[in-house]
Amino acid sequence: MDSHSPKLTDSVSLPEHLDATKTFIGIGVVGLIASFVGFFLDSKQFFFSYLTSFTFFSSIALASLVLLMIHHVTKSSWGTVIRRIPEAFVSKLWVWALFFLPVIFGITSLYKWTNEAYVANDPILLGKQAYLNDIFFIVRQVLYFSIWGYFGYRLHKVSVEMDRTNDWGLTILLRKISAPGIPIFALTVAFASFDWLMSLDAHWFSTMFGVYFFAMSFQAIFPVLILFTFWFHSKGLLKNTIRQSHIYDMGAWFFGFTVFYAYIAFSQFLLIYYANIPEETLWFYHRMEGSWSFITYLLLAGRFALPFVIFLNRDRKHSRTLLGIVSVLILALHFVELHWIVMPTLHHHGMSLSWLDITTFFGLGGVFMGLFFMMLKKNNLVPVHDPGLKPSLAKEYHQ
Amino acid sequence: MSTESKSLYGILAEVKNPKKLIDIASAVERGGYRKFDTFSPFPIHGMDKAMSLKKSKLGWIVLGHGIAGLIGGFSMIYFMSVADYPLNISGKPFMNIPAWVPILFELTVLLSAFGAVFGMFFLNGLPRLNHPLFNSENFKKATDNGFFICIESEDPKFDRTEVQKLLEDHGAENIEEIYPD
Repeated sequence: MDSHSPKLTDSVSLPEHLDATKTFIGIGVVGLIASFVGFFLDSKQFFFSYLTSFTFFSSIALASLVLLMIHHVTKSSWGTVIRRIPEAFVSKLWVWALFFLPVIFGITSLYKWTNEAYVANDPILLGKQAYLNDIFFIVRQVLYFSIWGYFGYRLHKVSVEMDRTNDWGLTILLRKISAPGIPIFALTVAFASFDWLMSLDAHWFSTMFGVYFFAMSFQAIFPVLILFTFWFHSKGLLKNTIRQSHIYDMGAWFFGFTVFYAYIAFSQFLLIYYANIPEETLWFYHRMEGSWSFITYLLLAGRFALPFVIFLNRDRKHSRTLLGIVSVLILALHFVELHWIVMPTLHHHGMSLSWLDITTFFGLGGVFMGLFFMMLKKNNLVPVHDPGLKPSLAKEYHQ
Repeated sequence: MSTESKSLYGILAEVKNPKKLIDIASAVERGGYRKFDTFSPFPIHGMDKAMSLKKSKLGWIVLGHGIAGLIGGFSMIYFMSVADYPLNISGKPFMNIPAWVPILFELTVLLSAFGAVFGMFFLNGLPRLNHPLFNSENFKKATDNGFFICIESEDPKFDRTEVQKLLEDHGAENIEEIYPD
């Protein structure tokens, strides 16, 4: 039993030819230019599509952020071998913040509560004016992104520092950053989701919308980690480092948060459905209308029922084929669900996929992934001096 | 002689440490024995493999109970609120599935939990009042610092002298015959 003294045997640097930073930045620039053309053709559609894509990629970075914080606070070691993936996602959140600017320029197109004449005749919106007004909205966004940018930058920086200095005491610093970070994260993400998504339909409110947004995002982070692991393996990287036991762990987390997502999403629906108060039900009414209802049932089946049934069996939680297929499906449905949250505000009576959805997706996605690869190639693929690495490498899969 | 060997429960042997227990378990398994068990104060990683134990059937029992809970719950509510005594509640349809979900969920979980607990009892042969192994004074160490293996006489390959030899060859100590009473 030599598993008690595991050694890191894989190379921990990303080979030059796998560095996709330039490719992704290129895709991003082309996508953003194409989207910019769309801005002149149909500015309203542009802002809605942009918001959807921005929220999609932000949700992955935000879920990475809280995953890291939980990881540090609980002194977990299972995920030490995959930690560089979420770290690379969050470290440049402060740069990513700049890509929120178009949303700020577009608030008059996106949010009806910015229209003073409209609000003046609407007692409900008048009552919400203390919170929903241009200035306070912008102040809040600055606050959110400074907080997330700071935490993301620090968590990555300190972790990389440990690689260089071999000072395991930095794990304590990471824990000290993360502990207050979790409640701060919870509040900022909840309010950010109120601002970005819920206030699109400013009459409507759901107190658990923040949790709902978090549940969606956190379910989607595991497919991202799983797919990156498979990508590493397909390139012959980290094959003896991220092993079956770690893949099983990710599968199990994914399964758990699939159920959590379904629980939260359904709870939100059930309370509104049961109380049956017109101002609350309208939001769901629009999403049960025309072809939107098809998406509603697709989300129920694809984002909960299918993965639940597939991964109920323990052995399947580390089946590469199934995890690969379902991961792609979940990420696609994560985008569809955000689309389903945002777009009915613009297209009441049925779904409509605009070409701008695709260009903004590739534009922002290219930038997001470019930033990711930039940070990934700069540092070791595994935190080599983390005290959690040894137990993580020693992890065995038990029947 | 034959009556005596019939009442023999099995042969118990003690080893020094968990490593030895795994070694002797895999040796016994390779020797073709199937009806044997190991006892230690704590779970030992790798023991399932050494004994080549199959995956527990408990999961299937739980699944069966869960599905029974789901279908049973559905039939119950259907009978009560659609077939037998339909009530108009704020104009909602009688077949009001979203409102049923919490109950269906709870019943699925409840019956699954019953299935897990009682299924575990059933698979372990519980409850029982006594076990032949408790007749061994030495076996009391199994909850403290002793590591034991017991080959049962029900095993088709069981032969008293051969088992004794096999255990001795692998460094077992305190080999003793266990009788039910």
